[in-house]
Amino acid sequence: MSFNTVILKNFFKNLKNYALYMFALVFSVVLYFSFVLMSQDDSAVEEIQSSQLMSTGFTVGSVLLVVIILAFVMFANSLFLKRRNRELALFQLIGLTHGEILRILVLENAVIYFSSLVFGIAFGFLTSRTLLMILLRLMQVELSVGLNFSVQAVIQTAILFVGIFTLLMIQNFIFLKRTRLISMLTLDQSSEADYSGMGIGTMILGLLGLIMISSGYWLSMNIIEFGSVLLLVLFGILFLTIVGTYLTFKASVAFVLNMIRKSKQGCVSVNDVLSLTSIMFKMKSNAFLLSLVSIISAISMGLISFSYISHYSVESLIESTVSHDYTFYEEEDMQFYSHLLDDSEIEHRPLVIPTISYVARGDGIISGNGDDDSEISLNIVSEEFVDDTEVDEGELVIHGLSTVVGVYMDFDLNRSITLYNDDYEVTLELVETNEDAALPSFVARGRLQAVVSSEVYSRLEENAIHDKEQAEPHEAFVIDIVGEDSQEIFQLMNGENNPLFESRIEQYTNQIQGAGILMFVIGFVGLAFLMTTGCILYFKQIGESEDEKDTYKVLRKLGFSVNEIVKGLTLKVAITFGIPLIIGLLHTYFAVNAGWFIFGNEMWIPMLTVMGAYIVLYSTFGLVSILYYKKTVRDSL
Amino acid sequence: MIIQAKDIKKSYGNKRNRTEVLKGIDLTIEAGEFVTIMGASGSGKTTLLNVLSSIDNVTSGHVYIEDQDITQLKEKKLADFRKKDLGFVFQEYNLLNTLTVKENILLPLSIRETKKAEAEKQFKLVSEELDIYNLKKKYPSEISGGQKQRTSAARAFIHQPKIIFADEPTGALDSKAASSLLSKMKQLNKKINSTILMVTHDATAASYSKRVVFLKDGLIYSTLIKGERTQESFYKEIMNTQSVIGGVSVEF
Ligand SMILES: Nc1ncnc2c1ncn2[C@@H]1O[C@H](COP(=O)(O)OP(=O)(O)O)[C@@H](O)[C@H]1O
Ligand SMILES: [Mg+2]
Repeated sequence: MSFNTVILKNFFKNLKNYALYMFALVFSVVLYFSFVLMSQDDSAVEEIQSSQLMSTGFTVGSVLLVVIILAFVMFANSLFLKRRNRELALFQLIGLTHGEILRILVLENAVIYFSSLVFGIAFGFLTSRTLLMILLRLMQVELSVGLNFSVQAVIQTAILFVGIFTLLMIQNFIFLKRTRLISMLTLDQSSEADYSGMGIGTMILGLLGLIMISSGYWLSMNIIEFGSVLLLVLFGILFLTIVGTYLTFKASVAFVLNMIRKSKQGCVSVNDVLSLTSIMFKMKSNAFLLSLVSIISAISMGLISFSYISHYSVESLIESTVSHDYTFYEEEDMQFYSHLLDDSEIEHRPLVIPTISYVARGDGIISGNGDDDSEISLNIVSEEFVDDTEVDEGELVIHGLSTVVGVYMDFDLNRSITLYNDDYEVTLELVETNEDAALPSFVARGRLQAVVSSEVYSRLEENAIHDKEQAEPHEAFVIDIVGEDSQEIFQLMNGENNPLFESRIEQYTNQIQGAGILMFVIGFVGLAFLMTTGCILYFKQIGESEDEKDTYKVLRKLGFSVNEIVKGLTLKVAITFGIPLIIGLLHTYFAVNAGWFIFGNEMWIPMLTVMGAYIVLYSTFGLVSILYYKKTVRDSL
Repeated sequence: MIIQAKDIKKSYGNKRNRTEVLKGIDLTIEAGEFVTIMGASGSGKTTLLNVLSSIDNVTSGHVYIEDQDITQLKEKKLADFRKKDLGFVFQEYNLLNTLTVKENILLPLSIRETKKAEAEKQFKLVSEELDIYNLKKKYPSEISGGQKQRTSAARAFIHQPKIIFADEPTGALDSKAASSLLSKMKQLNKKINSTILMVTHDATAASYSKRVVFLKDGLIYSTLIKGERTQESFYKEIMNTQSVIGGVSVEF
């Protein structure tokens, strides 16, 4: 039997143990390949108005994917190497050089790697179709998804993975060079059990970690107050939460667990042996990894939430900035299009909306900085031009109050607002605020709109001082389509030589496609991040279960049943997955809470959806870990 | 002489927290000798063996094997050296679970591309001697601890290395199996003039060798030479020295 046959046999018999590693590889290939394949789908690109944005989004996304895949595969490889320590040491003992061992590794890895590549590409091809369907759905583009296999995508994926392969071999070589033979022979015994006590230092660090995180959260809750040094505060929050997270894992968790342990006064149960003590030992050395996992998942969840919020809010955002189906800059333009629509027998309503501006003050206005007698400038519109709004004499309704504006400006309902100028003033009661705009944005110029009854409006108009310097339009020219507006109508009007106009449906399409791509790319990459962090924790558990095999054996010899041991391990898994999960969720909540209004007007539904998906994902990984533990315990005796 | 150790020191730990396990060991072993290292548990026996056999490196001092300073040797040369001249029997068995007993034993021959017939002959010889020939198709998970240890020993002997390093080779064996393994070692030592360096805490095992070196507090405490005596009387002297050093009776 030649040495090569021995190696081959060893390899194929070991294949089961490589499953994890292969899974990591196939998973990465699927991610990358389906992503690339999708970005090169010509039929989809043609259909989409914002294809420029799409390709930029996909480029940025693929770079991020490469980064996470690289980190993930290298992590898996290092675990894999550690598992094979003994074997590699034995080869050295019988006289193989590092070069020869590396050659074995290269060969083995090449087999694993390229079969994973083929599998991954096949799977990726299948998933990419599903993914593309999701993307088009998010962009609200009607298009049936065909089978589009791109050789270029295969080549691109292959090149990337050959590159990663080279990096892995360098990693293997460095590992072989750097690790002494003696430590390889004894590595799996002396793993991470350096436990340096629970001194006063740990206590202070633990407390500091919790204080840092809390103050980071407090700052994020009050971020509005720091308008002038916003950037500084943002970095402060990042610093506090990241370092705080690390300290929490390094010290606080061990500290708290130690308190629990102490409270038992020596009567440690099997649960404690398997969960508390094991975690206490490992938590400190895993602190870096666990904080990385929490922070990465918080960032991913935060970004996914933000992009989901903006996708979710496109419609209402359009409502609060675009008041009518079509808006024109000149009255003639409006008439031109009105004729055009008449010719095609499309029912519509042209409108000329007059407006004047007044300064307002009163109890009803609460400005962001807490001044009582703040003044704002309002565009006044008569009630007859605003659908669905009933205003009696002496009443006033504020329109166009979007969430972003709402952060800086608030109104007290049923209080008075006085509109005034040098010659005239009238006091009205604020009865309602409304997000929808009553005027086109280029007429409103960022001011809120006050809708009043037509009598009040005529009086206000009579007494208005027409300021010559403010050469702004005082009439808005709009057309509303009776019934639903549609792409066909928009295309009809959007002739090449026709006058300029603004269209709600066009803005909506652009924004929903942009938000759709953004959400998809961020969602995809973010999900990839979350999956990899989950996988990493799972791999860690597998490693620990191997290390603790002897403990299970002892416990079973002492008469504990498999179920009793697994119960203790379940607690351990719950803590290992649960603490990063909870910290990740908390970080996400405070991050989203601090900034969501910039992206849209609904925070809870998108954020809770993302968090729910994350919880399900992590629970799945936790469950799979428990099953793995169960198998290990059962086989330990 | 085949092995020469000069003022070997070995410490573990970092700057703040250092423990010196070997505090300056000088030891010379002639070709064809069978030397045992004894000492209380934790006295540094395994450490010394590892350092002498190129598995671990020294903190200071030099180890010469056939006049080559192995503490200065390049990795490639070291590998070559292990391949040709060294055999290891470990406290832990270090068998590949994926290979049968026979394949494990033949591993050193397979990397030297020995002819099949020759390898077969060697295998039969060694495995019959150690009473594991019938296990040749079994996997390590299917055999007992003692059988694993004998497999590991057979692997160390199969290529008839110049030097055999053995760490507690009889640790997992009953007295019958232990004596057959030790006889085999003694025989190899006699027939093909292999040099053997063995670590043990078992006085019976030690009595098979020609010289026993006692370690205490990181230094060589004393040396016993068998000379022309019977194994019996050598065993008694080893026992006496052990009881002088102390701590032996509690060791198991
Ligand atoms: N990797 C290591 N790190 C720290 N201390 C070690 C290490 N290996 C051995 N020691 C210490 O060195 C001493 C000698 O160990 P060893 O040579 O294994 O003793 P033995 O004589 O029982 O074989 C022991 O006190 C042990 O604690
Ligand atoms: Mg020892």
